[in-house]
Amino acid sequence: MLQAIDLTKKYGDFTAVKSLNLSINPGQIFCLLGANGAGKSTTINLFLNFIGATKGKALVGNMDVKSNPQKTKGLISYIPENLMLYKSLTGLENLSFFCGLSRSPLNKDELEHILLKSGLQPDFINKRVHSYSKGMRQKVGIALARARNSKILLLDEPTSGLDPKASNEFSELLLEMKEKGVTILMATHDLFRAKDTGTHIGIMKEGQLLEKFDTGSVSFMDLESLYLKHMKN
Amino acid sequence: MKVLTLLIKKEIKIALRQRLIRIMAIIIVLLLSTALWAGYITYNQQQENVELAQEQRRIEWLHQIDKNPHTAAHYGTFVFKPKTLLSLFDFGLDTFTGTSKYLEAHYQHEFMFRPAQEYSSTIRFGQLSAALVFQLLIPLLVIFLSFNSFTSERENGTLRLLMSQHISYGTIATGKIAAILLILFSLLVPLFTVALIFSNNYINANVIQDLSFRILLLLVLYALYIVIFVSLSVWVSMLSKTGRNSLLILLSIWVFFAVIVPKTATGLGTQLTPLPSLKIFRNTIADDIKNGLEGDLSASERRKELEKTYLKKYQKDSLHQLPINFLGISLQAGEDYAAKVYDHHWQKLEQTIEKQNAISSWASFISPYIAIRNLSMALTSTDVNAYFHFHKHTEVYRRNLVKKMNMDLAKNSKNGEFFEYKANENLWKTIAPFAYTTTSVNRVIASYFIEIVAIFTWIILLLFAIYSYSKKIKASYV
Repeated sequence: MLQAIDLTKKYGDFTAVKSLNLSINPGQIFCLLGANGAGKSTTINLFLNFIGATKGKALVGNMDVKSNPQKTKGLISYIPENLMLYKSLTGLENLSFFCGLSRSPLNKDELEHILLKSGLQPDFINKRVHSYSKGMRQKVGIALARARNSKILLLDEPTSGLDPKASNEFSELLLEMKEKGVTILMATHDLFRAKDTGTHIGIMKEGQLLEKFDTGSVSFMDLESLYLKHMKN
Repeated sequence: MKVLTLLIKKEIKIALRQRLIRIMAIIIVLLLSTALWAGYITYNQQQENVELAQEQRRIEWLHQIDKNPHTAAHYGTFVFKPKTLLSLFDFGLDTFTGTSKYLEAHYQHEFMFRPAQEYSSTIRFGQLSAALVFQLLIPLLVIFLSFNSFTSERENGTLRLLMSQHISYGTIATGKIAAILLILFSLLVPLFTVALIFSNNYINANVIQDLSFRILLLLVLYALYIVIFVSLSVWVSMLSKTGRNSLLILLSIWVFFAVIVPKTATGLGTQLTPLPSLKIFRNTIADDIKNGLEGDLSASERRKELEKTYLKKYQKDSLHQLPINFLGISLQAGEDYAAKVYDHHWQKLEQTIEKQNAISSWASFISPYIAIRNLSMALTSTDVNAYFHFHKHTEVYRRNLVKKMNMDLAKNSKNGEFFEYKANENLWKTIAPFAYTTTSVNRVIASYFIEIVAIFTWIILLLFAIYSYSKKIKASYV
């Protein structure tokens, strides 16, 4: 569902992503680990076609994002590190608007139900987003992915800054979506969350994917050692 | 289309929830209502005054005592430029040119009782009219509505989420433009609709030709003018990194459009094609009448020639033998020659003003404010062309009146008689009451074609800029 073929992004002499080859299938959660500037967010931006690749291809649903930008965006839901919604609209209004844009019109009751299922407190559904915490906004993002019935979810540090309870709830929602066959690519610093939630893990450094393995094949301690080893080198 | 509707609804909802926008909209509506109310009161007062004065002058003309016709021509009459219904929307140059004129033999008087004479120097900033609100204040509202249309999305981070949807940048821009236009048109359309309905039944509608069509054109042109400012604001917002930058750029553009370009165009026009002072204009005419225009005979020579012509025509030796009063013929010949000289100099004056106006017209490509200002005045018949048109009409009326008086003197009195001969009411009645109708709207369109082209050029260029930028949008701006 998500595929990177020799995907490269250069900014002048600086290589942000170097010959990335990656394939993520439906029902998989691929966690990209790496320090700041490793190229995780750039990879996500390449899949979103926010930036063009210098070389190689980013495929979404077997379509090149460069030649099919609108079609591929139609398959994706994206939740950035800090999901920003329209502050003067309520959570429900935001959800209704973004669902409408993705041609997934649902009625008010259905949207409310999805927001509740995504963990948003009932009192906040009709409150303007300026009173929301970051965790609440991320939940609206998850609700959007659910409402859109997206086949692919791109997450850029989605639990960064969330309290443990909110992070845990978020992970549960991801696992639920994985069970439904959603293809998930998540960039994160959080080793624990990657081990706990991901099906596959990749470690990136200086634009290169150094390691790629199944989550089940390593313990948390091994993962931590491996990650630190790469970061030190 | 559904996506566009959603974008529009979202933009309107967000805009209406912003206190600043609500306050500005209320202020604009209040100013607009005040301007229209003031315009309505002024219109009614002036209309009443004009009708009353016109009627009184007519009565005075018809009931003047029996007198020599040429004296009656000097007694003259006042004529008044009728206020048109549209002048309550745009006062135009009426405040500065005046609308009353005294007509008498030999002299082409200037317009009198200019309202601007009664104002202090604040008149330089213009009067509060509905047109002023539309031309200068609504663009400010547009700027405050749209300066952050893209920058706020970028600064708040919502643009990334929006751009990750199944939607193009061009569609987002279209939605934003359409939403702002809908908010503004909800202010504009009711006003013009009421005016349109009102105009169809209005008693004074016959003064201005094609009234309904003019209102419709005003509506369309003001709508296009607003489209220009909305597109410009959205475009600047697209290009700016922060809302602060966008607002500063747009306010600078507003000052450039509304103050710098008009002042520069006027200054340039005056420098390149200066007008003679009124004193020089009058003196040149007086000299040319006395000494003859461009090689013509002098006044005394022309009179001698005229004597010879008439003596020859009637085969007489002296003026006393003529069957007509030669004084009347001579006065009329003097009148005709003065008219020729006046027309010659007036034409030159008009040509100079036309050159100045041409500079202003071409400046429409630098400032759309100039385009709409000129078109608005033209369509409301308060522009310089309307002034010229009315002036020519009054001059035709004056010449006809004077000619009738002089020819009556020539035909019905003996040579040498002047005060001895007295005409009466029967002659006064032959002068029809003064009536005036403005030029046709086709003529207005032809005269201001450059401004119309400029408005369309602005729109095409701005929409092209927006959509070509939408295609080239860089990630750093998302």
